[in-house]
Amino acid sequence: MLTYSLKRLAQLFVTVLGVVTLVFFTMRMIPGDPISAMAGDNLSGAALDQMRTQMGLNESLLMQYLTYLGSLAVLDFGNTVTTKLPIIQLILDALPVTVSIAVGTIILTVLISIPLGTLAAYMAHKGHKTLDNAITGVAMVLDLMPSFWTSLVCLLIFSLALGWFPASGTVTIDDPVQLMRRIALPVLVLSMAQIATMARITRTSVLEVLSEDYVRTARSMGWSELRVLFRHALKNAALPIVTVVGLSFGNLLNGTVIVEFIFTLPGIGNLLVGGINSRDYQMVQTLILFYALIFVIINFATDLVYRVFDPRVQF
Amino acid sequence: MNFLRPIQALNASPTGQTSLLEVRDLHTHFLTDGGTVKAVNGVSFEIERGERIAIVGESGSGKSAMAMSLLRLLAYPGKVVAGQINLNGRDLNRMSERQLNHIRGREVGTIFQDPMSSLDPVMKIADQMIPPIMRHLDMNSEKARAEAIGWLDRVGIPDAGRRIDAYPFEMSGGMRQRVMIAMALSGRPKLMIADEPTTALDVTIQAQIVELLKELTSETGAGMIFITHDLGLVARFAHKVGVMYAGKLVEFGPVKDIFARPCHPYTQSLLDTIPPVDQAERRKLAQIPGFPPDMKLPLVGCAFKDRCAAAHERCFVEAPDLTLRGPGHRAACWKPEGLGEARRKDAELVPPMTHSEEDRVVVEVFNLHKHFTGRSVLPWKVPPTVRAVNGISLNIREGETLGIVGESGCGKSTVARLLLGLDPATSGDIYVDGMAQMVFQDPASSFNPKMMLADIIQEPLVVTGWGNRMERAARTRELLAQVGLDESYMSRYPNQLSGGQRQRIAIARALALKPSVVVADEPTSALDVSVRAQIINLMVDLKRQLRVSFVFISHDLLTVSYISDKIAVMYLGEVVEYGAADEVFRNPAHPYTQALIAAVPVPDPVAEEARMKKPLSGELPSPLDLPSGCAFASRCPRATDHCRAEKPLLQAYSKSREAACHYAN
Repeated sequence: MLTYSLKRLAQLFVTVLGVVTLVFFTMRMIPGDPISAMAGDNLSGAALDQMRTQMGLNESLLMQYLTYLGSLAVLDFGNTVTTKLPIIQLILDALPVTVSIAVGTIILTVLISIPLGTLAAYMAHKGHKTLDNAITGVAMVLDLMPSFWTSLVCLLIFSLALGWFPASGTVTIDDPVQLMRRIALPVLVLSMAQIATMARITRTSVLEVLSEDYVRTARSMGWSELRVLFRHALKNAALPIVTVVGLSFGNLLNGTVIVEFIFTLPGIGNLLVGGINSRDYQMVQTLILFYALIFVIINFATDLVYRVFDPRVQF
Repeated sequence: MNFLRPIQALNASPTGQTSLLEVRDLHTHFLTDGGTVKAVNGVSFEIERGERIAIVGESGSGKSAMAMSLLRLLAYPGKVVAGQINLNGRDLNRMSERQLNHIRGREVGTIFQDPMSSLDPVMKIADQMIPPIMRHLDMNSEKARAEAIGWLDRVGIPDAGRRIDAYPFEMSGGMRQRVMIAMALSGRPKLMIADEPTTALDVTIQAQIVELLKELTSETGAGMIFITHDLGLVARFAHKVGVMYAGKLVEFGPVKDIFARPCHPYTQSLLDTIPPVDQAERRKLAQIPGFPPDMKLPLVGCAFKDRCAAAHERCFVEAPDLTLRGPGHRAACWKPEGLGEARRKDAELVPPMTHSEEDRVVVEVFNLHKHFTGRSVLPWKVPPTVRAVNGISLNIREGETLGIVGESGCGKSTVARLLLGLDPATSGDIYVDGMAQMVFQDPASSFNPKMMLADIIQEPLVVTGWGNRMERAARTRELLAQVGLDESYMSRYPNQLSGGQRQRIAIARALALKPSVVVADEPTSALDVSVRAQIINLMVDLKRQLRVSFVFISHDLLTVSYISDKIAVMYLGEVVEYGAADEVFRNPAHPYTQALIAAVPVPDPVAEEARMKKPLSGELPSPLDLPSGCAFASRCPRATDHCRAEKPLLQAYSKSREAACHYAN
């Protein structure tokens, strides 16, 4: 376990360094920089140049890169270009909203897709093809709808026409009811995409396990179908499902950027969009660093969960 | 343990009482998209209390479907469509699932074929065993745990109190099968159903399990249905035997009577396909021509008629019913004697091949080692090393067949890979005069399914740039003829072949480049007995005609001893006995060889009764830390301190034999 943790830590370091480097250089390949984005056409060339020198943007790329790595080493993430607020503070303030959306989505997805997938698998196993086909069919339709489109449709129906959920308004974690009402639609939209994938994986995985010998053994010991399904089949089918849940987190981070923008939620996705628009190098770099960290941590957690479901997994 | 007391009913006279299990006219169908497969087609039999019944038959005969039908454990699309299954007078076939769940695991225990896959891999043994006991015997968890440990102890799990909290993957196959047996027995069933319970195990472990099952059924008085394809096991184990063919019982009766006086042509042929134990002279094995009928198609007349030498007009229009042939002995054949005169009691003699010292040595192996070294993460730790092959020396002359036997894990397949150059040896010399080719256990997976058979056979020729297109086609026809197939097979695909035909193609491919030696790793293990006889006969013919040498690797000792000129017995990467096949088999020198041969059941119930039944105890130790002395000492009944201290070397035992044992002489 110790060697494993050390190995993972080394991996984490390499991953983060790679991501940070990539973002650093790609941001600087985009035309424009923070100064031109902020000033527009209002300032003279000399004034702009002075500001650039102040911010160190006139140094060589390598020099800028090394300075950046140096500040990272002491966990100095800098301030935003426009408001001069500490970036780390902004991110920590926005993070709860994004995490709420992501966790809500995962919970809703798991609650719907695993029973649905298991039911489909059981029906397929028993030769009742109609229900299985219906579930798989619905899952496919859900999968085909892009989330930027479903977002708009949901907004149109549930916020504008029916008025069930507010389409805008302030959000803080201090007011959980308001938070829930605001993130309900984004969670629904993101879940629709995830449910399809997860239900299909669950179906395939459970269906395969149901024809395993040990399931027959459980039946031969006199257990009911329900117990066989939940105690034996689902536990054995869990590994691929856990893998997909872990991987879908990456997709979710993607998805939150879109829904936060459409539903005007103050999460880190919106920060990222703002940062890119204003060419705020520091902001974007720090955010991507955060995304990478979240991703690596989720992967690590997934591996730990493996151990819970399958004792054969050794570290 | 009070639960080991025999049940009372066994002591009471069973006359006039109902049988333990009475199966009447059972029909099981598989409703597939391609049509209805009538897997079980009107099977009737009964089991008395304490009786062990073996059901034999080849794959597809419906024997497993029949056994699984009894408790309705068939997977979709299988369905019991008709029949009565009376257990102590109650018809299981008319019970609801809920009612049946009180029978499963309580009144009827089931043991399955593959212990590696029959236990839930992610649950501890305790979690799989204790809840059923609590449910069926109405015990609290503490008592149920004690009961479970009692059973594990009874089936021979060492340190059962601790091992009950292990996961299946922490146990060997033999141990898992013991757990499976303990589970099946834990509900104190009156009937046990065992579906090929030892097929996946080594012959030594098989002997242990069979003895255990015999003891336990005698102790508990439970009846037992034992599904198998191994006639030797039937002779060793069963009181009665039922022979299944095409979904029907074609013969049923007391085991001694059936082996001594089989009445159905199929039973007679099956018995004749087994290599004889007495090796005074070798005769060709009987073959059963043709294939079993397609169970999707309607069947007119006797199902065996197309493969039966004694078939006459009546067989083609009317199916025979089981009729009484002796006390409790029934057979379904119009002819009272079955094959009668047509049965080849005196089969064609295989003229012995002469080998002399002048014959060319085609393979010579000297002090061969193959070590697999693991990787250790921490640089100061010594990486674990498995000594799969640990210093063996062999030689094979032209036209000679060397058989290599031993339990799984003894290194016999590694030797094959080394001979073929598939793996590099760690040290030692391999000299092959000419070329070595390979025949695999499972030919289906060694063929590209998208290639025509002609291309499969020609592939070695193409790779080596042999001849032009015309010459290669001619060579392919020649090869097909040699393995007994006609030219029409050239344009077929692998999925159009039966198991035996596939193995013939594999042999043809191996022979394409005229190799001097063909290495066959378990070439007959996946085949049914009748097909196995065909392949063995073919290999015997080939070695005579082409004077090609074979290395025949198998765990099937009867087959190896029949086909081989020389035998090498391997144990933990070493050859412990090496010499002329007849001699090794008839008069084994090494205690391990003796134990292996004693473990092989012979298809003769009378002989089986007389044989020593003390199976080799224990299992193959880990090849990771080999003892300094004799590797076999931990299981050897004759081991002394001398054996544990000093390793015996392979020494001359007789003129044509060597053995590695301090006490061989």
